Amino acid sequence: MSNGDKFKNIISDIGRNKNVGNFSFWAHRITGIGLSIYLLMHFYVLSSAISGAESFTARMNTVQNPFFAVLEILLIAGVLFHMLNGLRITLADFFGWSRSHKLMFTVAVILFVILMIIVIIMQLPKFLPENYGGGGQ
Amino acid sequence: MAERVSNKSLITWFLQRISGLFLGFFLITHLNVHHLFHDISSHGIIDFESVHANLSSSAWWKVYYFLFVPLIVFHGLNGLWQIIADLRLSPGAATIIKILLWLLGIILVVTATLTLNNLF
Repeated sequence: MSNGDKFKNIISDIGRNKNVGNFSFWAHRITGIGLSIYLLMHFYVLSSAISGAESFTARMNTVQNPFFAVLEILLIAGVLFHMLNGLRITLADFFGWSRSHKLMFTVAVILFVILMIIVIIMQLPKFLPENYGGGGQ
Repeated sequence: MAERVSNKSLITWFLQRISGLFLGFFLITHLNVHHLFHDISSHGIIDFESVHANLSSSAWWKVYYFLFVPLIVFHGLNGLWQIIADLRLSPGAATIIKILLWLLGIILVVTATLTLNNLF
């Protein structure tokens, strides 16, 4: 079987298992890939500091507007899901709690929703005109 | 036919969980300090001065990022490798991807070190 066929098989298998564990497995992988891509972009944006203070401030200006504030909420959602689900996986692996993994997933989802409400409220000032694009200077 | 379980993949399985637990602490503090609570009120926006003031406020931030950066780069690239390993690629393709991930990891840690050097 070629590498391409193996990949197609994996994709076609995703929808067949409707259990919570299968959903969280793929959600963990998708958020993991997304966070890795973010990490790359984050290092790229901040690396402008190597060329000095002015280029750092200039590049930071380009990523501080309502559009990026929305992306930042999505970023934190990815981090929180990956963190809570990763903790659930680690507890199941290290303490043999795999029989409670569905209960732990429910607890993780409840914590995720509560924390996301707090995060969105905390992000709101970034949508004020004086707080982006150098408007406050 | 019994399949031999390599010790190496057991170690990376373990390290992925341990690094993940530490990253829980590092990400909660980092996201709070630099993404959510960053003092935009006195500077208007996040700029060089505000980041520099934040990072130079304590020598512990150097220790913090010295640990945080390698941990998150390892966790991210090792996680990507685990996903790629599940594709059961040919040994040649797997070796090439492993080398590329190692190179990427080294480039990321070096870039982050140079960046932080200029921000502290």
